[in-house]
Amino acid sequence: MTVPTTTPGTNFLDPAILSRIGNLEFVAKIAVEGFINGLHRSPHLGSSTDFAQHRQYTPGDDIRRVDWKLFARSDRFYVKEFEAETNCNFLAILDVSPSMRYKGSTLGEGGVSKLEYACFLTAALAYFSAGQRDRVGLATFNHDVIDYVPPSARHLRQVLFALDQTNRSGKVHSPLEASVSGSGVAPELEKKPDPGARASLLAPMKKLADSVRRRSIVLLISDLYEDPKGIFDAVDHLRGRGNDLICFHLLDKDEIDFPFTEASNFIDVETGTKMPLVPDYLRKEYKKIVQAHTDELSKLARERRVDYARFDTSRPIADALYAYLGARERYNRVR
Amino acid sequence: MNFLAPWFLAGIAAIGVPIAIHLINRERKTVIPFPSLMFIQKVPYKSVRRQKLRHLLLFALRCLALFLFVAAFARPFFAKNDRLAAAGGATERVILLDRSYSMGYAKRWDAARDSVRAVIGAMGPSDRTTLVTFTNDAAAVTEPTSDRAVLERALDRVAVSAEGTRFGPALKFAGDVLGASVLPNREIALVSDFQRRGWSTQAELRLPAGIDIRALDVADKSVADVAVTSVATNRASADADSPVTVSARLTNTGGAARTVDASLELAGRAVGSVRVTVPPSGSAQAVFTPTVVPGGVTRGVVRIPGDALAANDVFQFTLAPDEAVRVLMVQPVQARTNQSLFFRRALEIGDAPRFVVDVKRVDSLTPRDFTGRGLVVLNEVAPPGGEQGVALRAEIRQGTGLLFVPGDVPNDRVPREWATVLRLSSADPANRASTGGARLARVSYSSPVFEAFSAPGSGDFSSAHIFQHRSLRVAGDSGVLAWFDDGTPALAERQFGRGRVMVWASSIDDYWTDLPKNPVFLPFVRQLARHTGRFSDARPWFTAGDILDLTRHGELLTGLVERTAPGTEPTVLTLHSPTAKRVRFSDSVQATPLLERGFYELRTAVTAEGSGRPVAVNVDLAESDLAHMEPEELVTAALAATTTGGPQATADAATAAERERNQKIWWYLLVGAFLVLATETILSNRLSRMVTT
Repeated sequence: MTVPTTTPGTNFLDPAILSRIGNLEFVAKIAVEGFINGLHRSPHLGSSTDFAQHRQYTPGDDIRRVDWKLFARSDRFYVKEFEAETNCNFLAILDVSPSMRYKGSTLGEGGVSKLEYACFLTAALAYFSAGQRDRVGLATFNHDVIDYVPPSARHLRQVLFALDQTNRSGKVHSPLEASVSGSGVAPELEKKPDPGARASLLAPMKKLADSVRRRSIVLLISDLYEDPKGIFDAVDHLRGRGNDLICFHLLDKDEIDFPFTEASNFIDVETGTKMPLVPDYLRKEYKKIVQAHTDELSKLARERRVDYARFDTSRPIADALYAYLGARERYNRVR
Repeated sequence: MNFLAPWFLAGIAAIGVPIAIHLINRERKTVIPFPSLMFIQKVPYKSVRRQKLRHLLLFALRCLALFLFVAAFARPFFAKNDRLAAAGGATERVILLDRSYSMGYAKRWDAARDSVRAVIGAMGPSDRTTLVTFTNDAAAVTEPTSDRAVLERALDRVAVSAEGTRFGPALKFAGDVLGASVLPNREIALVSDFQRRGWSTQAELRLPAGIDIRALDVADKSVADVAVTSVATNRASADADSPVTVSARLTNTGGAARTVDASLELAGRAVGSVRVTVPPSGSAQAVFTPTVVPGGVTRGVVRIPGDALAANDVFQFTLAPDEAVRVLMVQPVQARTNQSLFFRRALEIGDAPRFVVDVKRVDSLTPRDFTGRGLVVLNEVAPPGGEQGVALRAEIRQGTGLLFVPGDVPNDRVPREWATVLRLSSADPANRASTGGARLARVSYSSPVFEAFSAPGSGDFSSAHIFQHRSLRVAGDSGVLAWFDDGTPALAERQFGRGRVMVWASSIDDYWTDLPKNPVFLPFVRQLARHTGRFSDARPWFTAGDILDLTRHGELLTGLVERTAPGTEPTVLTLHSPTAKRVRFSDSVQATPLLERGFYELRTAVTAEGSGRPVAVNVDLAESDLAHMEPEELVTAALAATTTGGPQATADAATAAERERNQKIWWYLLVGAFLVLATETILSNRLSRMVTT
C-alpha cells in the first residue's frame, strides 16, 4: 500500500486544527463527514456498504445466485454478488508507550503528538465504523494491555471516552518524566529507567489475541520501535485467528527527518538512555536506518499479508482514513 | 624551573576562558527528549564520538598554543644547581630556642628542651640543623650540623638567662642562616613561650622566601606571678649616718591576692621583713624599718618567697652615700679679687650633686692636690709642668675633668707635654669692648652642657656680652660646644683617657664678660662642671641587657680611682660578673653588656674580692609580663615578610651568564606555539570540509 497524497478538499482534517477541538466525538464527526464529502469527488468508488455487482458465471457457481432477469435481458449468465456482512468487528489497538507522546519541534506549538494523532485517527475510524454499523472496540497497550473496550455496536461512546482518557491521563508512563521532573512524580516513577525496558508488542498482542473471539478488522497504530521481525511475530498471534490486520506506523516528522542542528543530549523517552549527539554528523545515517526499518516493515507486511502504511503526523488525518477505507473495502467484500 | 617574568603566567588563566565557555555551554546544552534512540544507536560509532574527540583535539591544540605563548613570555629558565640536585629532600633547619628568663616559669624550660630534643631526634640523615638561642638578641650555639650528638651537647649547655624576649632579631638571624643554605627545604623551629611583648610589628623582618616556621609553644595556659619590681631609698638627711628607709614595690599578675613576706638584706645581713598582701592584678608597697647603712657603697637585696617565676622574686640594688664632687680651682699667684668667686659660688649652691670647691694658688700646688678630684679648674693659669703636670694628666686619664680657662696666659707658657692633652692653640686676647662686646652666637644644645637650655625660654646666652676672649683653634678630634659671633670657638671639648678636657675662651668671672651676672651663668656652670667632672647620678641598679659604659657612669669609678697610687697609669679596671666572668676595661674597651642577674663587681688590680664597686643588675621586668600571643599570629606575620632576595639571589646572580643560556627555552616555546597553531589550522580546515561534505 502506498501512502496517498493529500486528497483535495480534506485539508481541514489537519491534525493541528483537530487538536484545538476538545470534544473527541466532535473531532471524529468532523473528520469523517468531511472525509465522506470528499469522497464524492474521489476516484475511489465502491466502498459504500450496500453495493452489489455481477460477474460472469463460471462453472461451479451456485446456480441459485444466477440473475435470471439479467439473463432474460442479455441472454448471458451473470452471478449476483451480494454485499458481505452488514456489520463486522473493528478493533483499534493503540500503542500508548511514552514514545507515542512525542511531539516534534518542527511544527512548534501547533503540532500534535503521535498519541494525539492516533487518538484522532482512532476516534474518526470508530465513528466511521459505527456509522457502518460495525462493532467498535479499543485496546491500548504499553508493556501490557492497559485498557480494553471489547467490540460492540454500542461501544462507540466507551471507545471515545477511553481514547479521551488515554490522551489526557497519565496512563502513559515516561521514564523521561521520572528522570527530569524530580519531585511530584509518582514514587514508582522515581526509579531509574531500565535501559532495556522498551515496550514489546509480543505480550499485549498475545493477550489481545485471546480476547478477540470473532473475526475482526484489527487496526494496530504504533510507532513500531522494535525489531520488524519481532513486530510481525507478535501480530501473527492476531492474524492467525483469522483477523484482518492493518498496521499504521506513525512517525513524527522529526523522527523521519531528524532536523536537529545543535549538539545536544538526546534522551530516549522510553528507556531514559542519554546520548550526547551532534545531529549534523549522523542525520544521513539515521535517515538511512529509518528508511531501512520502514522498508523491512513493509516487506514483512507484504509477506504476511498485513496492510501496512507509514504516516507522518504532520500530514492531514485524511491520508490515514483513506488508507483505512482502502483496506476495509477489500475486507468487506464477500469472501 | 624559574621564570624571569612570572607575572606573564597570569595569562594561563586565559585558557580558563574557553574552558569556562565550554562548561557553561555544557550546562546550558539542551536536553532533547526523543522517542527512541534505537536507530541512533545503530549509527556507526565514529559518526558521533570521533567527531567529539576531534573537537577535543582542536580544543587541546588551541589551549596548548596559548599555554606555549604564555610560557614563552614568562621567560622560563632552569636553574641548574648541581649541589641542590645532590641534596635531594634535605632540610636546613634552625632551632630558635628562647632562653629569656620567662622560660624559667614553672616547667617551661624542661618542656622547651624536650621540644628541641624532639626536633633533633626527627632530623633526617642529610638534614642540617643550627641551634640558636635568643633573648633580646640571638646567637648561634652550634654551626650547621647533621650530628645530633653535637646539638644535644650544645643544648645541655644552654641555660635560662636574665634577659627579655625579642623575636625579631632571632628570626632575622635564622633567616640569614637559612638564606645562605643551598638545601631545598628550609625550616625554622621556634621554641618559645611566645610572650606578646617579644614581638613588635615594627620589626623590620625580611625572611628569604621558601621558609617554613614551625612554632613549638611551651607556654602555660594560666599564669600567676608576684614580682619585686622596684626599690626606693630615702635617706633622712644628707648625713652619712642618717637612717635610710627602703621600700619595695611588689606586683601580682595572678587572679588571686597573695600574701608574701618580703625581706630586706643590706650588706649581706638581713635587716627587716614585712608581710604584704598584693591584690590580684595589682601592686603593693613593702616599707621596711629605717636602718643605718654602713659607709661606702652597700649591697641591698629585697627578696620574696620564690614562686613559679623565681627570677623576679629577688631585687638587687646598691645604696651609695651622697658623694660630693670635689673641685679644685687653681688661680694665679696674683689673682684678681673674686677671680674664682662667681664660679665657686655657683658650684657650691645646691646639693644635687654637691660640689666641694677648694681654691689654691698655682705656686702652692702639689701632685696630691689632684687626687680624688672630680674637676680641676685652671683659672687663667697655665697647665702645671713637672710632677704636678704628670699627676694631673694621670688623673684626667682616669676620669678627672679639666676646665682650662686660658685668660691672658701666653701660649708659650703652656708646657709642651700638654699639647697632646689640649690639642689647641689660641691667638692673643681679642678686645671686643669697642664693638659692644662679642656674643655667644651659637651653642650646641645636643651637648649635655647646653641640653638644659634647649627648650624655648629656658636660657638666653645671647644677652651676655663678651668683651674680651681668646680666639681658639682646635684640633680635628676636638669638639666645639659654643661659638662667638665671629665664629671662633667659645667652649671646646676633647677626650683624654677617661677624662674630659674643656677650654673656655673668655674668663669665668666678670673681668672679660658679664656672663656671671647673667641668669644663665649658674645653671651653665653647674652643668659644665657636672659634665666635665663626669658626674652622673648613681644608678642603684641596672637591668639585664643594659650596657655598662664607664664614660657615662663616672660615679662608679670614684671610690676605685682614689685607691690607685698617684702616677700609676692607667688603672686597669675589671668587671666581675655574678658567675665570675671577667671583662677587662681599657682605653678601647669602655663598655660591656650586663647580661647576668645579681651583683657585678668593678675592681682594679689591687682591689680585693668583695671590696670593689658593686653594680646591681636585675632582670628586665618587662619580661615579667607573661601575656601570650598565638604562635600562628607570629608565624603569619613573619612569613608575610618574606623576600626573594638574599644570598641565594646573589648566588644566582653569580651565574647570570649560565642562566642567560638557560633562558633560551622561550624561543623554542614560541616556535612550538606557532607549530601547534599551524597544526590546529590544518586540522580544523579538514574537519570543516568533512562536515560540509
